[in-house]
Amino acid sequence: MDNPLHPFELHPFGQLSLFGLDISLNQAVIMMWVVVAVVAGLLIVAGTSKRLVPTKFQSLAELLVDFIRGMILETMGKDGMRFFPFLATLFLFILFCNLLGLIPGLYTVTSQIVVTAAFALFVYGMSVVVGLARHGVKFLGILIPPGTPLWLLPLMMPIELISQLARPLSLAVRLFANMTAGHTVLAVLFGMALSLPLLIAWLPFAFTIAINGLEVIIAFIQAYIFTILTCVYLGDAMHLHGQDEHAH
Amino acid sequence: MPPSTDPFYAGLGQAVRIGTELLAALIVGGGLGWLADTYLFASAPWGLVTGLALGAVSGVLNAYRAAQRWK
Repeated sequence: MDNPLHPFELHPFGQLSLFGLDISLNQAVIMMWVVVAVVAGLLIVAGTSKRLVPTKFQSLAELLVDFIRGMILETMGKDGMRFFPFLATLFLFILFCNLLGLIPGLYTVTSQIVVTAAFALFVYGMSVVVGLARHGVKFLGILIPPGTPLWLLPLMMPIELISQLARPLSLAVRLFANMTAGHTVLAVLFGMALSLPLLIAWLPFAFTIAINGLEVIIAFIQAYIFTILTCVYLGDAMHLHGQDEHAH
Repeated sequence: MPPSTDPFYAGLGQAVRIGTELLAALIVGGGLGWLADTYLFASAPWGLVTGLALGAVSGVLNAYRAAQRWK
């Protein structure tokens, strides 16, 4: 029987290098291109007909825009809307990486921690830059929770520092672990279905189908969580400790 | 598409989130402690011990905050 982790292995197609950097293509790279093409294609098709009574694609796109807009307004308020293009791209890319990965034979890009970690570090770095640009040195006050007595500062500052540094890690690990675990479970169950006699093989096979359905939900949830946490972190950087903040 | 208002999906999202929140802070705390032990001061194992303790505290704090946000 195949190793259940086998689907996660990457095999470069031939060797390509640029100034000594290894830039050979593998399934993950191709898959990202496919995802970008699919997302862009869908939205371009959806955007061409600007009808008052929307077509199927158009209403899907409108639903999507409304969904992301609601997410931003809920967590960042009105001035968060300038991040809309970035957040929509992030959400759609992760969502379609997760969803297309569920089609048997296609690669799940988000099951590589290097991809999710790159996203997470970028998002966290962006929130730090936004915070520093907006508040200057006062941004470091994010390490001091409001209402801390002075004598607790030496304890609270390391704790807050760890909790800040845990943000990119938890973002990266959550997405990566959920996708990897889900696909491993599917691989194990399907391996059982293949190797067992037909009399009982239907049981793991039925589970494979059921869990595939669950994975579709997980794909949405993970993309949603990643994006809403990005909103939350950016919002934290923009409104330090909820000052000048709208009601939650 | 799961709307953010649907309590089932909101709850599922919460559940998925809080577990990693606990773990990540613990790893970062332990990691920082270990780094301090190995490269900054030759204080092994106390950096790791303190780091893990602080990480645990910070993980619980993070999980608590995550739970507060959506009450």
